[in-house]
Amino acid sequence: MITTLRATPFRLATASKAISISTFCFPLHRRYHSYQHPPPTSPFTPAESAILSAALRHVPLHGFSTVALSLGARDVGYLDVSVNLIPRGVFDLVKYHLVTERLRLKISVDFRRLEQSDGAENLSVPAKIRVLCVERLKANLPIIHRWQEALGVMSLAENIPASVSELAKLSDEMWFLAGCDSHDMDWYTKRAALSGIYASTELFMTQDTSADFRDTWKFLDRRFSDVKSIENITSNIATWVDFTAHAFSNVLQSKNVRFRL
Amino acid sequence: MAARLLIRRAAISAARPVFASPFRAACLYSTAEKPPSSAAAAQSPPSEPDTHFGFQTVKESLKAGKVAEVFSSVASSYDVMNDAMSFGIHRLWKDYFVRSLNPGRNPGGQPMSILDVAGGTGDIAFRMLDHAEKINADRETSVICADINADMLREGEKRALEQGYMSTNRISFRVENAETLDSVPDNSIDLYTISFGIRNVTRIPMALAAAHRVLKPGGVFACLEFSKVSLAPLDTIYQQYSFSVIPLMGQLIAGDRDSYQYLVESIKNFPSQEQFAQMVKEAGFMNVGKGYEELTFGVASIWKGVKPLDSK
Repeated sequence: MITTLRATPFRLATASKAISISTFCFPLHRRYHSYQHPPPTSPFTPAESAILSAALRHVPLHGFSTVALSLGARDVGYLDVSVNLIPRGVFDLVKYHLVTERLRLKISVDFRRLEQSDGAENLSVPAKIRVLCVERLKANLPIIHRWQEALGVMSLAENIPASVSELAKLSDEMWFLAGCDSHDMDWYTKRAALSGIYASTELFMTQDTSADFRDTWKFLDRRFSDVKSIENITSNIATWVDFTAHAFSNVLQSKNVRFRL
Repeated sequence: MAARLLIRRAAISAARPVFASPFRAACLYSTAEKPPSSAAAAQSPPSEPDTHFGFQTVKESLKAGKVAEVFSSVASSYDVMNDAMSFGIHRLWKDYFVRSLNPGRNPGGQPMSILDVAGGTGDIAFRMLDHAEKINADRETSVICADINADMLREGEKRALEQGYMSTNRISFRVENAETLDSVPDNSIDLYTISFGIRNVTRIPMALAAAHRVLKPGGVFACLEFSKVSLAPLDTIYQQYSFSVIPLMGQLIAGDRDSYQYLVESIKNFPSQEQFAQMVKEAGFMNVGKGYEELTFGVASIWKGVKPLDSK
């Protein structure tokens, strides 16, 4: 598992080259993950982080709003006007939550440590993904009653690209932490499927009134089983298409048409 | 309304000598009101650094006088020309600039003290006060309009009277050099704005240092200024427009081609978005985001900086 390289199949080839370059021009911008590179870091400057983390503490009461931002700025000694330091305002507050919780995931769920202590070495990759999903969703608990506001901000046209990219990064992070070692088209489909599952479950969770969010976890499990059945359906369809195509080519060849599949 | 303005413009341009060149303009101006700058040029030591005045290279000590001349001659037609040149878009830029800064008291906070440098006609100042009042229900936030040019300030005072702000103590007008800001105490300002002004300052780093000095720690420096259009095809059109159409408009509407020739040349000379963001950073501010935000494909940009808490 240690040798798992989180790389898109097309970038794998350049990864070894990048390692030698990275010693000269550091930090290297990369869109894949590997143990040969430093882990992803927060895109926020220390001053921004100070204001935003203080502002997040006001979110349960004041929501994702400019009020929370200016209260946060005041808490760490800035002026009200200093919230101009946060270029995208409320959206950056949402993004700060997303980024910090994503980066926290690898600390809160460390399977290598879990395997040693709990004897959980038999956890399969899908089971690990479920653990990670639940862990990440639980990080929304303190602000879940305000999360619809955040989803509203994220769905504004100018914020959609950044929101989708953050979701993709979360999905990538989860597959990496679960030890996924795909290096074919699966790399993409896995991430796309998990993004869909996570986003829909998160939305479900904002409406969930059951005790301890039992319904949310059930919803999550149903989505995972959906994906499994979709996988079955797609592989069945692929088998059928393959069979039919070959049968067709055989028919053509039996009629002396020069045709090979 | 437009006809009245045109007539007024015609009357003013008839009353004022038509200048053949900015150089001559400066001479006429200086013999009337200032120590003769042509003589000053002859006497100035050869080591004095040069600076830009549009595409011309002039001695640093002369630039302020020349800029003053430009703005004295355009003060009364300033907004009409701005509307004509930018098709009214400058109003959108200024509105967005003020809205993004969100001036005024936040719930549970203090009223802000705002310094609008090169804001003689009060364009930004009135928007700030309106925003503070209408959005943040704050009638205490005050703006100091500072400008090096008394003619522009008179224009602003006239408007402040018309809009009823003169009777309140929320706005004040001061003749002030952006490079020194002598009458503004250290660490006293929440928000420093300069809109379409910094390109006329002779020594921009000095102006940035002065902004850093007067701002409270955590205070915000915000600058709205023309910048570079990044898309090459659009830039070609933009350059064509600014060098052939704008001076012509200046001649027709304001009766003053040279001032508007200077305007487009000074825009062309102003540093790029990244360079100016770097200058803001070097003055001791923290850049906001990547340091700038482009408006209308980069025709204008907003630069913001925040004074760090640990700076004096």
